[in-house]
Amino acid sequence: MNSPASSSFASSATPTPERTHLRLGFVALSDAAPLAAAALRDMGRRHGISIELCRQPSWAAVRDKLLSGEIDAAHALYGLVYGVQLGIGGPQADMAVLMVLNRNGQAITLSKPLADAVHGGASVKDALASLGRTPVIAQTFPTGTHAMWLYYWLAAQGVHPLRDVRSVVIPPPRMADALVEGTLDGFCAGEPWHAVAEARGAGRAVVHTSEIWPDHPEKVLACRRDFVALYPNTARALVRTMLEACAWADAPEHRTELAQALASSDLLGVPRELIEARLGTRNGVAPVRFFDHGAVNYPRLSDGLWFITQYRRWGMLASDDGDDDAAVAASVNQTALYAQAARAAAVDVPGERRAATFCDGRVWDGSDASAYLAGFEMRA
Amino acid sequence: MLRVLLVTDTDKPIGDLRDKLARLGYEMLAEVAAPASLHAAVESQKPDVVIIDTDSPSRDTLEQLAVMNKAAPRPVLMFSNDADQQFIRAAVGAGVTAYSVEGLAPERLAPIIEVALARFAHEAQLRQRLAQVENELAERKVIDRAKRLLMDRRGMSENDAYATLRKRAMDQGVKVAEIARQLLSLADLLG
Repeated sequence: MNSPASSSFASSATPTPERTHLRLGFVALSDAAPLAAAALRDMGRRHGISIELCRQPSWAAVRDKLLSGEIDAAHALYGLVYGVQLGIGGPQADMAVLMVLNRNGQAITLSKPLADAVHGGASVKDALASLGRTPVIAQTFPTGTHAMWLYYWLAAQGVHPLRDVRSVVIPPPRMADALVEGTLDGFCAGEPWHAVAEARGAGRAVVHTSEIWPDHPEKVLACRRDFVALYPNTARALVRTMLEACAWADAPEHRTELAQALASSDLLGVPRELIEARLGTRNGVAPVRFFDHGAVNYPRLSDGLWFITQYRRWGMLASDDGDDDAAVAASVNQTALYAQAARAAAVDVPGERRAATFCDGRVWDGSDASAYLAGFEMRA
Repeated sequence: MLRVLLVTDTDKPIGDLRDKLARLGYEMLAEVAAPASLHAAVESQKPDVVIIDTDSPSRDTLEQLAVMNKAAPRPVLMFSNDADQQFIRAAVGAGVTAYSVEGLAPERLAPIIEVALARFAHEAQLRQRLAQVENELAERKVIDRAKRLLMDRRGMSENDAYATLRKRAMDQGVKVAEIARQLLSLADLLG
């Protein structure tokens, strides 16, 4: 059902949404594609909602505007939602993950000399050590997905992400410049910023995130928990709209049109070719996917729980008492609401359990978080 | 003298804000215009207050510093000329350690800086206290689990189990919770 006939998403007795106009925040990244598709094709109309896209200059702005109500929902880093739920480094608020918007599609780029060394067979640890100073590697938000992919991968290479490197945040559009200027040795972020860095000769990707955690969840559709409680019909209508948008964005025959839309200065402001090249499979690397028959979109509890295990691993949560972590995931991820919306749209709801083998050989299936956490040798 | 770092990486005009703040008695640190240098500027110049545009793409850099450098989080003051100030205020109400500034009139900025600092210090104290309470609670849970383990496996009474843990803690000069944690991880290992 990659390219569903419109009938398969047809409304079947959808209750009237309480809110009809929704403001959706996004950050200039290729994986904002489902939001672009939904707005471009007015996909909310059949579900009784209209969508207005609101580009945000930072993840901090996404968070603040979700909390203040200036935007209703947003394309957000999976980890950002959990960071706010747990009150890490900022305000605490009860948050909701309505659905996952994409899997894979992120990468780690190193500066040209470092990437050449790694591609030439040097270990990442040796390549970084050859700098003779502390390497500076950027990501995008302290509790976000890119920080967690970067830390996980560095640790798997025997490089301590908090001691052996300086982990900083700079805005992704500035990352290529910083590599050229030499203020940065590498970065973990989304596309199209790796394509941009490579096109400028600033650096090369050394690992794609699908090689760190195969088919990992990445961006989610996030809102405040009270939005779901106050406007459940609206939330369901939004999930149905975005499922349709994810299916559309996933279809290979739509890639050029999608990349063209994303390239506009209102959205990403990056040449279409750079965006389009990274939407499909390259060099055998598992590409970004938005739908895959709904396998991408289910807000699996174990995915949310994984982020909490990593916050504990890297000392971002003060106490080491993880007894309630599964309950946190169960309250944030709106599995029941998602299932209702997906069934109404005739989209398969996958099973709760999924086992994945990470780049360091460790397996995460969500069953025993404290044993999983205890099994990491390298930690804060 | 309060040290103020002004971040000017958006095209919002700041006029003579810098000069006026300096005249009001603040030590104005070298301005930061490029996002890549903000991290280093905050770490090396250690400002008491950072003033930044709500629309600055560099805000996430400050988030990283707040989470990863717990020793020195700083209040962040945000300016916005937009009509969305009520939303910023709502965000502030929700606990963001940041303060909106109506326009950029320096004479109005000064008292806000003072309030921001006072409130930040207060919140830092509260956070510290909360972390302490959470830690104590977590320690108590660990000790309870270790006691239960000793009671189950060694048939000890609750008092004896606790006395055993405490004695070992005193012998080793560490906290009871640490001994409990060691015992639990050992039990995990042995199954």
